[in-house]
Amino acid sequence: PRMKRLAPRSTLRKIIKKHKPELRLAANADLLVHLSFLLFLHRLAEEARTKAFENKSKIIKPEHTIAAAKVI
Amino acid sequence: PLQPLQAKPVPKRLGVSQRKPREPELASSLIKGIFRHYAKMPVARDAFKVVEKCSERYFKQLSNDLEAYSRHAGRKTVEMADLELLMRRQGLVTDKMPMNVLIEHYFPMEYRKLLIPIAVCGNKVIPSK
Repeated sequence: PRMKRLAPRSTLRKIIKKHKPELRLAANADLLVHLSFLLFLHRLAEEARTKAFENKSKIIKPEHTIAAAKVI
Repeated sequence: PLQPLQAKPVPKRLGVSQRKPREPELASSLIKGIFRHYAKMPVARDAFKVVEKCSERYFKQLSNDLEAYSRHAGRKTVEMADLELLMRRQGLVTDKMPMNVLIEHYFPMEYRKLLIPIAVCGNKVIPSK
């Protein structure tokens, strides 16, 4: 499946601002935030997939995702 | 007798905007799309909710870490180096998997152009005219 490739740059900045209003992000640092988030979701998805396989499930269920989140 | 035609008074909106300020968060469709792409197998609807919750927690943790790193360096601005350090701590960037390779793998050209010259030059300041 095709994936949207663009980063939601202003939303990423707003999310960090919400948590840390005083913190400023250097130019393009938000792109690396997005990169780390992509990698996080990649890890989470692969871990959840492994859990689903272990349970002989053909579909990723909430419990697989929860178990994956604990490992990561 | 015919009443003079009159446009029904349209209730005027009060104030400038009726939109409530929303909490900034990533579109769930975006998170779903990315997760589905990497999962490479069907994902139950409820499982996406867990992914969204995890994403929220991820950003909260990330904000804390970035604040700690930049403060540790005596800055109020998060620099690229802070993110590289973060991704190193997360085990995403390693000696065998440098940042540039990740950027090339995960990002479209337009973002690579923005990031790679900076990553290569490190902290060198290019005199700006």
